Amino acid sequence: MKSADPEEWRSQFRIGLHAAGVEVPLAAQMTEDAMDEARAAELHPAALFGPARTYAEQLARASRVAVAEPLNRQSGGVVLRLSSVGKTYGRRRVLGDVDLEVRAGQVVAVVGANGAGKSTLLEICAGLQNASEGKVERVPHVGWVPQSGGTYDLLSAQEHFELFGGASRIGRGRSRATGERLAARLGWRPRAQQPVSELSGGTKQKLNLILGELSRPELLLLDEPYQGFDRGSYADFWGEVRRWRESGTAVVVVTHLLHEPDEVDHVLELLPHGGPE
Amino acid sequence: MTIVARQVLHELSRRKQMLALLALLPVAFYLARHDLPGQSIRLLSLGLGWTISTLALFVTVGAIPVERRLRVAGYSVLQLLGGRVLAVSAVGTLLAAAGFGLVIVDQALARHWALALMFALAVAISVPLGALLGALLRRELEGALALLTILSVQMLANPDGTFAHIMPFWSLRQLAAYVVDDESSAYLTSALVHAGITLSFLGVALCAISAVRMRIHKAERPEASSSLSSTSVG
Repeated sequence: MKSADPEEWRSQFRIGLHAAGVEVPLAAQMTEDAMDEARAAELHPAALFGPARTYAEQLARASRVAVAEPLNRQSGGVVLRLSSVGKTYGRRRVLGDVDLEVRAGQVVAVVGANGAGKSTLLEICAGLQNASEGKVERVPHVGWVPQSGGTYDLLSAQEHFELFGGASRIGRGRSRATGERLAARLGWRPRAQQPVSELSGGTKQKLNLILGELSRPELLLLDEPYQGFDRGSYADFWGEVRRWRESGTAVVVVTHLLHEPDEVDHVLELLPHGGPE
Repeated sequence: MTIVARQVLHELSRRKQMLALLALLPVAFYLARHDLPGQSIRLLSLGLGWTISTLALFVTVGAIPVERRLRVAGYSVLQLLGGRVLAVSAVGTLLAAAGFGLVIVDQALARHWALALMFALAVAISVPLGALLGALLRRELEGALALLTILSVQMLANPDGTFAHIMPFWSLRQLAAYVVDDESSAYLTSALVHAGITLSFLGVALCAISAVRMRIHKAERPEASSSLSSTSVG
């Protein structure tokens, strides 16, 4: 909706920048720059840039910079190796003869239809389930982002940052600061004391991702990580994947639909009975 | 461990209705038999046991999905279990202290220290009892029904019968006799022995079940090279 008052547009634009994770001084500077441009063009800012909130989200996304310095990791070292891994529940075979090798800085997509054993494979990679057959080798520092149920409904995002940071002995203040920086990269500014139960599905999923990444693991295991994301968040997610890859983090992402085959190094397709293609 | 306990307490503190009901249950037990002072103290201690074990059960079941994730993130079983037990014990101690205050104000008793011991044991036994049922059954309704069965049998069974002796809160009945009826120290001794055995059993069983339920399967660190490869799209 176009606002008749440029000041109203200015206000909405600034609020939009802040909500998308832009720091207050930078948001103020960007707002003034946009208003100056509109004045110079002798146009209403909405006529020049479009709706304030939409333009704020676009500008915030473009302004995001890498926060984490690339880690000094041995380039290309193997972080995960599955050798003829299979899983059987009773007499039902859900996964069979899977071979996979993932190196630092690689992105691997595990695709397949519902019931193909994708989540089971990811839990085996994380060590939450034992493989019935075959051998699993992995580095010890792993981040796991489950499809659902990985957060407490009544805790705030900041409290989750503290809790998950504590697993790697990161202090409370540093955990919060890191979590908030990672949230800003996904276009989200967590509100203090807002419980997770009040977040939208997509925002919960952003929190899920941040908690997996918080301690900068060597291997990130993501189970359907962009469910509930809008188009912008989906683009932010793949931006994050590129950033992880550049910093040497290996990523295994499970999905039933892969829209971005160019963003991954390898695809492992699981057939419905559980074996690889 | 303390950060886990703190977050459990934060979560509990936001459930105001639940906290009110937690406080109400033991008081309701106490007031239900207020006409019989001794019986009201017995029921208050069992009410404390019931309410705290239910809290421990629900906290345990509610934490299962997140704790799997926290284990992968790097927490040990001891840190997660200890943090949870610490938090529920803190809430239980507050409730027990309130119950103690209520009795002291309301009734004339000679052995105040034994009353405090009785309520402390109610907390100490009910926390691992509820947590153990939660870890074993992993569902709230099933756990609540199991607790209902145990506590109902505890209240209905003849305290002198063999069946009552294997119930977890039998020691509270013995202590109640010592506190209320001024029975001999033999009641105190038998209560402490029973509580010691019960706590040892619950503690060992809880640690063992938690270690199995929350285990991370070990894997070797990968060697540098291999002939294996995944299916490549590139």
